[in-house]
Amino acid sequence: MSDALQSLSRFLPELILMAALAVVIVADLLTQRRPLKSSTDLLTGITLVGLLGALVTSWQALGAGEAQSLFASMLADDGLLGVFRPIFCLTSIVVLLLSMRSKELEGVRLGEMLALLLTVTAALMWMAGSINLVMIYLSLETVSVASYIMVGYLSSDRLSNEASLKYILFGAVSTGAMLFGLSLLYGMTATLDLYGVRAALAEGAFGPGLLFVLVLIAAGIGFKIAAAPFHFWCPDVYTGAPTPVTAFLSVGPKAAGFAILIRFFYLGLAEPAGGGAIAPVGGADWQMLLMMLAVITMTLGNVAALLQTNVKRLLAYSSIAHAGTMLMAACVLSVEGVQAIAAYLAIYLFMNLGAFTVVILAHRVTGSFEIDSYAGFWKRSPLLTVAMGIFLFSLMGIPPFAGFLAKWYVFAAVINAGLGWLAVVGVLNAAVAAFYYVKILRVMVIDEETGPTPALAFSRLDLGLLVLLVVPNVLGLLFWGSLDRVTEYSQTLLELG
Amino acid sequence: MESMGSAAIFYATAAVVLGSALYVVVGRNLVHSAFALVAAFFGVAVFYVYLGADFLAGAQVLIYVGGILTLLLFGVMLTNRIYNLNLRSGAIQVVPGALSAGLVFALLVWIIQSVDWGAMDSGDPGPTSESIGRLLVGDYLLPFEIASVLLLIALMGAAMLVRRRGSS
Repeated sequence: MSDALQSLSRFLPELILMAALAVVIVADLLTQRRPLKSSTDLLTGITLVGLLGALVTSWQALGAGEAQSLFASMLADDGLLGVFRPIFCLTSIVVLLLSMRSKELEGVRLGEMLALLLTVTAALMWMAGSINLVMIYLSLETVSVASYIMVGYLSSDRLSNEASLKYILFGAVSTGAMLFGLSLLYGMTATLDLYGVRAALAEGAFGPGLLFVLVLIAAGIGFKIAAAPFHFWCPDVYTGAPTPVTAFLSVGPKAAGFAILIRFFYLGLAEPAGGGAIAPVGGADWQMLLMMLAVITMTLGNVAALLQTNVKRLLAYSSIAHAGTMLMAACVLSVEGVQAIAAYLAIYLFMNLGAFTVVILAHRVTGSFEIDSYAGFWKRSPLLTVAMGIFLFSLMGIPPFAGFLAKWYVFAAVINAGLGWLAVVGVLNAAVAAFYYVKILRVMVIDEETGPTPALAFSRLDLGLLVLLVVPNVLGLLFWGSLDRVTEYSQTLLELG
Repeated sequence: MESMGSAAIFYATAAVVLGSALYVVVGRNLVHSAFALVAAFFGVAVFYVYLGADFLAGAQVLIYVGGILTLLLFGVMLTNRIYNLNLRSGAIQVVPGALSAGLVFALLVWIIQSVDWGAMDSGDPGPTSESIGRLLVGDYLLPFEIASVLLLIALMGAAMLVRRRGSS
């Protein structure tokens, strides 16, 4: 019991989110009869305060105190969790602001959406910290269930319903496969603790049987990060979901999925080999498994994105491709890979949410998500076009922008690990990606508009959001210092021996 | 002699579980399928007893047979024209489905045969509920609490989806 009480002091961001959740639920019930606007404003305010509180406390907790395990070895409070917590909070704050400006969510009661957003933020933190098989499953399932509901939030919209149903069906199958894999792993090792799993696997060779188990578990994790061949839900769900939810899904659960991937493979299935490197245990070549996943995911995502005409679908495939790039870094088998993934995610957060912000703001005037509807956008709003250009160039990884830094971290890690061929595949993919990102820009700048062109008006909130998202992308190279902070802490994984 | 008897019980239960589970999938009548599911769930409860997991067996009967299935049956029976419903299940892609199912089955059999599972012999089975209770408020306190958060949002989501559809 004293352990649980002691753990609470290192659990502050999650506690704040849970408190805000309770307040939002009660406030939602009390304001049911008030006008929609005032009740929504009140609830959004409470949620924003909760998320900001979590952001501040998680930023303060970053790097403070030794890495330790919480709640009887359920969670690891270490540098990796420390780095991921602010990423989740920032994502949720941007998504919250986006959902206030989204045309799709206008006139819809947001109470449940805000409660779900708070829950899912905390659940992402639990995911990133899990070092116990039960916790891995439970936190993943909490994120999934909350996401299913958020995707189907527009219940009078057919596409939203269809997306939610598809998401549930794919999610049920992949979490089922993962649960079965986890139970087999428990049968082999007779422990639920990741460090115990490692110790048990180090003693005996399990070989191909273990590899099959890992494929089952990779299905669950692959579903969360939208890696091929577990990505089939992704384009339909991204297209059908309300756009702020799409923006959230493309960053939050993906980041948490990578945190679980790192914890599961780097801590549970490998032991330290000195100098920050790790060596797989148990006689299963999971490095090969991850490399195959990375190559398939990157290639499929980029090639399929070339064919898209809907901007949400295009960004869905582009997010699959980015997952492939990060998977490359996961094949490195040293802390350098972990650092690269953390740095990539920290930058990806700003560039991808930025692109979705432009999509949502453009949708307010065009009412469409087709790329063709962006024709002549340059004349309607130079500001938004320039912002989109910055986000897309950053996603491409063009030098002055932060996205270049992200790609550079990944490729440096991959090449240092002696996986030159993988880096070549990655570079070829980055070249393919440039085509479809430039396609959007070409339509915005060169193509002539066809119909009437209503003027584009920004609120102060829109401008603030754009500045928040543009600045890190433009000045990415100047923020090298804070990125060093990310990479420095992310490598301190909890070591219990 | 005793092991022969328990083996017989095991195989008989397994036959009941597999047979009724198969009927759930291929059966054409929804009500019959739901009742077949009762038999399958009871069979699983017998397995738990057989393994000395008394608490799990009780929970299985209470939650699956008592709760979920009764609800399911109510749902089925309150639906209009349920008997005329033409259930088309398993009619498409029989060959690829059978092939992949067979492949997974072969893989699983091979793994169960090849891996050293380090079976534990815990002696005579005793009551487990006390130690499970202690674990839930001790080592597994956090998962226990997270499960309550999960149930809360699942409940909220279900209520929301139903309410919106009714009002619009």
